[in-house]
Amino acid sequence: MSRIGVFVCHCGENIARTVDCEAVAEALREHPGVAVAEDYKYMCSDPGQALVKKAIEDNNLTGVVIAACSPHMHEKTFRRACDQAGLNQFMCEMANVREHCSWIHDDRGQATDKAIDITRTIVEKVKHNRPLESIHIPVTKRALVIGGGIAGIQAALDIADGGHEVVLIEKEASIGGHMSQLSETFPTLDCSQCILTPRMVEAYQHPNIKLHTWSEVEKVDGYIGNFEVTIRKKARSVNEDLCNGCGDCQAACPAKRIPSEFEAGLGKRTAIYVPFPQAVPNIPVLDRVNCTLFKGRRKGLAKDVCGKCKEACLKAAIDFDTEDTFVTEAVGAIVVATGFKLYDIGRDQPEGLKGYGEYGYGEVPDVIDGLQFERLASASGPTEGAILRPSDGKEPKTVVFVHCVGSRDPEKGISYCSKICCMYNAKHAMLYKHKVHDGRAIAFYMDIRAGGKGYDEFSRRAIEEDGAEYVRGRVSRIFRDGDVVKVWGYDTLSGEQVVIDADMVVLATAMRPQDGIRELAQKLSVSTDEHGFINEAHPKLRPVETNTAGVFVAGACQAPRDIPEAVAMASATGAKVLGLFSADELEREPAVAVVDENTCIGCMRCELVCPYGAIEQREICTVDGHVCGHVAYVNPGVCQGCGTCQAVCLSKSVELQTFTDEQIFSEINALCYWE
Amino acid sequence: MNELHELARTLLTDGTVRVIIGWEDARRGARPAFITDPADTDKLIFDTRCVHNLVTYLNPRRDNVAELGKIGLVVKGCDAKAVAGLLREAQLNRDDIVLIGVRCGGVLEESELAEAVALSAENVAPRCFGCDNREPKLVDHLLGEAQPEPPRPIMTIDERVEALEARPLEERWAFWTEQFSKCVRCYACRQVCPLCVCERCVAEKTRPQWIDSSAHPRGNMSWNITRALHLAGRCVDCGECERFCPVGIPLSLVNRKLQQIVSERYGYTVSDDPENAAPIGDYRLDDKQEFIK
Repeated sequence: MSRIGVFVCHCGENIARTVDCEAVAEALREHPGVAVAEDYKYMCSDPGQALVKKAIEDNNLTGVVIAACSPHMHEKTFRRACDQAGLNQFMCEMANVREHCSWIHDDRGQATDKAIDITRTIVEKVKHNRPLESIHIPVTKRALVIGGGIAGIQAALDIADGGHEVVLIEKEASIGGHMSQLSETFPTLDCSQCILTPRMVEAYQHPNIKLHTWSEVEKVDGYIGNFEVTIRKKARSVNEDLCNGCGDCQAACPAKRIPSEFEAGLGKRTAIYVPFPQAVPNIPVLDRVNCTLFKGRRKGLAKDVCGKCKEACLKAAIDFDTEDTFVTEAVGAIVVATGFKLYDIGRDQPEGLKGYGEYGYGEVPDVIDGLQFERLASASGPTEGAILRPSDGKEPKTVVFVHCVGSRDPEKGISYCSKICCMYNAKHAMLYKHKVHDGRAIAFYMDIRAGGKGYDEFSRRAIEEDGAEYVRGRVSRIFRDGDVVKVWGYDTLSGEQVVIDADMVVLATAMRPQDGIRELAQKLSVSTDEHGFINEAHPKLRPVETNTAGVFVAGACQAPRDIPEAVAMASATGAKVLGLFSADELEREPAVAVVDENTCIGCMRCELVCPYGAIEQREICTVDGHVCGHVAYVNPGVCQGCGTCQAVCLSKSVELQTFTDEQIFSEINALCYWE
Repeated sequence: MNELHELARTLLTDGTVRVIIGWEDARRGARPAFITDPADTDKLIFDTRCVHNLVTYLNPRRDNVAELGKIGLVVKGCDAKAVAGLLREAQLNRDDIVLIGVRCGGVLEESELAEAVALSAENVAPRCFGCDNREPKLVDHLLGEAQPEPPRPIMTIDERVEALEARPLEERWAFWTEQFSKCVRCYACRQVCPLCVCERCVAEKTRPQWIDSSAHPRGNMSWNITRALHLAGRCVDCGECERFCPVGIPLSLVNRKLQQIVSERYGYTVSDDPENAAPIGDYRLDDKQEFIK
């Protein structure tokens, strides 16, 4: 016979204001199988917990029901208390009479009745609880970091410095990410490359970091502590072990007019190339799309038409016939740091977005985006740091900066604020004014959002010390008019239309997640928001965890982030990963599905619907070892206890240990019997 | 017919299969036949009386059939869909069976006739009208000549569903309450269904007992709704459940309505292609989800 203790919490006034807690305790005292029912002002307080523990010992309770807040809040607290009092912790359950009752109702009488009902259902459930043990799973103490931008580099370094191996993969030829393209960084105006490259080199040379560039995640199997990741090493055509980075191949390559991705299209590169001088590793890749030899092969020419790079290479490191290879890495944790891309504002738009064709980007050569301005301002850029406009190479005397291009515009498809643009526009205006003293920098803004240490001071400085002219309002049209770029805008403070004859326009385009993020998220079983940013597990309390255990998120693939935030997130993931690696085994709650092998027919529809890939087919044998059939098997390490398998099982052969059919049935019955 | 006899004889003689399951002529019309001796293959028939879905013998619950050895099975188009269903749900290895397909022009509603008769609007099985799989594709051998379309029955199943749906909710509820109250819970519908493969049916689960087991209207309603839902997106419309029901519950109407829902919501039609994943396990971004508020 069950001997259940019911403990009703007032939660100060949170519950007691609308629920008569004494009446709940009194009603439950009469409920069959309830040995003791008490109410108390703060059950989670020390004296409250002591009351629970004492009741367990005095009454030899077989189960405990805490009628209080959501299990998210205090289930652990009370389970620990039960454990200390010698009761298996999984015999304790929460009846949520706060979020599900007192907070959402006004009528005291009805709320009290509902609280009694809720508590009864949980009492009936607990009658069918069984003592369970936590699940222990081993941990592979190696981490995978996806993305070699500043966030990925920082995460990799923190984990590697903690003494664990890290596999860092980067889809481009070099690590460094967007930060390597920046000229100076706000709010201190220190040179981006100067602070980044030491980190890049450190990551490359770190004995605990294994770097795969020009590589992508192909497949992810396994679960927290035990992932198996297949990495596609894209055909580089250059043997990484033989190449010494001399650059002779680049010099020999005849295809020299390919727009450079690193220079944001403002500079040119060869088909075999190292993206920038400080690239890590300093090993070129061959761009097969633009390579003369491969173009010839695609046309079906019998003989290769080029091969100059191979001839030039004294190390014989170039091989045109390499293909994509796959490596498998066993890791225990994964950090996603795939970063961002700028909103492509041309007329050709990604799905769900409407472009800014009226801004003439891609048509008017002197309308550029923020990243292109970074390259113009960079000492290592195509103009060696001189601000010269792309069309004719002249120094622009009037530059218009347009904030919020794409951002904060739900009509065009992006509702969020890209966060960094106010700051980098102020920086751009400053950099421009520092270089072109007689120039005018005019910025069209919606609001200036400069939250952050030293940020507001920085943007004020752009206006007050460097004389940037800020116009509050939007720009309606940008077009070429002879030698000038006409900007039509509206000043909402004066209520006047503004027409500016600019020499160059810089658009602060929105930050969007990288291409392919949804596919990657699917491989990792993590969710993305409507824009494609990876969802964190909790916006406040678990900002770098995802809803898949063991997968963490850092930097601008989660939301628009600036460098300090990306680095802070990366270090936070480092702490999470090192925490995970601090024990040899992981302990998990046994809220997992279990298959009844006696009745399972192995139709495997549970496998089809399992969002975590936790279910596999397993053969069953007779006592003499003869295979007599197959059934489903739930891997308790992977199962997240969502219960989808339970819902689709036709023969009712799989159920969550913590929500068995019988428990749910009893809960429904409890609602039907006591009215 | 000689074609079928010869193929069956060859398959049995060369040991490809140990038993051929087909139809034979008997005192009360056509009936399932289990031929193990090559000399008996001439008994095999296929005509409009061969209504039985023999795939039910491949059902893993019937392990006594499996004990006969490797099976050669004669299938119509609708039967082949049931084989695909078993393959889709890992209840069968394709290599363990030889499928002999027969081109089909529809069957009678009734098998118990001394001789095959031509199909007409009065005697055709209504489900045959509009059949999309009269030449099974999943088979190893396809026999017979191309057949004409089955005749249109006096009232098609779709028309009957439509007529029922045109009635007000209370009338429909009363209709089904009355129909299901006739149920004696003999579970013939389940036993004959080639896709009811569970070893322990949910109707027999006792802890907890979701479905009241006595032939009481409440339990009957639960059972019949559960049976129908468990076949959503799986039912091949072979009509065996309705044919076997001793009290004449119009189960084909329930089955057809579910087919319509599955088709409308998920664009899915049950076919004899086992690779064609059923909607329950096939997530698509354009799946309707207006139920999420």
